[in-house]
Amino acid sequence: MPVGRKKSRLARYWPRLLFLIPFAAMLWVSSYNRTAPALGGIPFFYWYQLAWILAGASLVLIVYWIESRFTHATEEAQEEAEPSGVPGDIL
Amino acid sequence: MNLDLRATSVFVALFLLVTWLGFIAARWRKADLNVLHEWGLGGRRFGTVVTWFLLGGDLYTAYTFIAVPALVFGKGAMGFFAVPYTILIYPILYIVFPRLWQVAHARGHVTAADFVRDRFDNRLLALAFALTGIVATMPYIALQIVGMEVVIGALGFPAGGFVGHLPLIISFIILAAFTYTSGLRAPALIAVVKDTLIFITVFAALVIIPAKLGGYGAIFASVPEEKLLLAPPSGESFGSYSAYATLALGSAFALFLYPHAMTGILSSSSGNVIRRNAAFLAAYSFILGLIALLGYMAIAAGVDKDPAFAAGFAQYGPNFAVPALFLASFPSWFVGIAFAAIAIGALVPAAIMSIACANLFTRNLYKEFYRPDCNDADEARMAKIVSLVVKIGAVVFILAIPQSYAIQLQLLGGIWIIQLLPPILLGLYARKFNAMALFAGWVAGTVVGTAMAATQGFTSSVFPLQALGVTMPGYAALYSVLVNFVVAFALAPILDRIGRTAGSPAR
Repeated sequence: MPVGRKKSRLARYWPRLLFLIPFAAMLWVSSYNRTAPALGGIPFFYWYQLAWILAGASLVLIVYWIESRFTHATEEAQEEAEPSGVPGDIL
Repeated sequence: MNLDLRATSVFVALFLLVTWLGFIAARWRKADLNVLHEWGLGGRRFGTVVTWFLLGGDLYTAYTFIAVPALVFGKGAMGFFAVPYTILIYPILYIVFPRLWQVAHARGHVTAADFVRDRFDNRLLALAFALTGIVATMPYIALQIVGMEVVIGALGFPAGGFVGHLPLIISFIILAAFTYTSGLRAPALIAVVKDTLIFITVFAALVIIPAKLGGYGAIFASVPEEKLLLAPPSGESFGSYSAYATLALGSAFALFLYPHAMTGILSSSSGNVIRRNAAFLAAYSFILGLIALLGYMAIAAGVDKDPAFAAGFAQYGPNFAVPALFLASFPSWFVGIAFAAIAIGALVPAAIMSIACANLFTRNLYKEFYRPDCNDADEARMAKIVSLVVKIGAVVFILAIPQSYAIQLQLLGGIWIIQLLPPILLGLYARKFNAMALFAGWVAGTVVGTAMAATQGFTSSVFPLQALGVTMPGYAALYSVLVNFVVAFALAPILDRIGRTAGSPAR
């Protein structure tokens, strides 16, 4: 594999390292196994994990956004990108 | 319990609507349904929105909506592992599966076993994939029936006997008929109705029930203290912490290996559809998290102490918690809507699962070993017939065999299905890998995982692993798939060398 290609793969896929954050947060159970502070009567254990659902989804959106911007910017990534603009792509 | 007429009529009306949708789905995005990828993958043309409904209906099943709050109701905080689990599935979906979609699309694969057969050119490994997929999915279909049975029973139909099972049998005949005629288009269309009903129900439950019970503070105050948090590590054991984390992680890695999840993924129209859904499907996770809290609301409402529900709890155990909570909190017409949401929530995954099993059987057993020369029409016809057989099998299974067996088999199913992870990952990311080493890894992982569950009497998938003087209770699926990886990596260089000296090219 030519060095240039390796570099561009790293440049393209680095946002995916963000996915390590939810794994670390969720597997570190002792960080959230407590009741205080409660939010609207809901103990920390519960609202913290519910909040992480939203945080996790936002991270996926951020990664998607960065990657799709990059995909449009480089020629190499175009091979892997699908033809867009097809109506079936949305519905 | 007497039959609740108002709730039952709403329930039946919604069921009829869904039946009608199931049949007209055949004409939606009209195509030749006598070709397997049209019948069994909806022509690979589902966009972001349809895929969202389809995968949502597929993964967040009726059984989940009954069993997760039941687990929280019975066991407390431990049951909440479903939340970190559904958080971790989406990064995995985002990274791995658009790549698999790409290959499957380019090479015409309909199942995961097709991919493995093509990638490693090894029939034995593909056979292991097909059998594992079918065996792990069958009890899952059976459990959807359990979900339906609970709500039908809660409507007041007499339990047991032929009359008691009649509503269930009728609904499965309807399901079998429209799956046969419309294929994957039927659950895709019905999923829209199912999710609308689920969203309405959950929204109403979260507004009405806490108001009745005096707010979330009062609800959590009525939960026994030992249920509210996980048991912290003590002495030489990691206690509930390692179990909670490994259950979430192992379940997340296993989920998209299930044939029905694979079917949902492969039916989408592009890799970007999958990537977008990796973000948007979290809406269902949030709903699931809120549904899990219904378990605590059932504790606060004291439904298990209400004599009106004693018969239901005796019959269905903790699974009756949510139906009882709805009966106690909602007017009967709305109970009809909520129960219909759960019952229709069983039909959608049951349809997709039976289609996925039919695809596997037809492509990877029938065509591969019995009729390699069969044409497209034969292939599609065979799959339709198998989808019927699978559903009849699931109904017989649940009516003839004690329910606890179905639950134990589903628990084993998770351990078996995760063993497909190494061939999928190495097939996608390694340039080449020895197929027989992967097969040996699969054998080792399956045997070790099953043995771990056996030591727990098949009642729990949490195995107390002892290493370096500490006990780490953890999900047997995760432990056994590590064995699988280790065996595959250890044997690969050895088997490659044997292959080379024997003169045959190593693949």
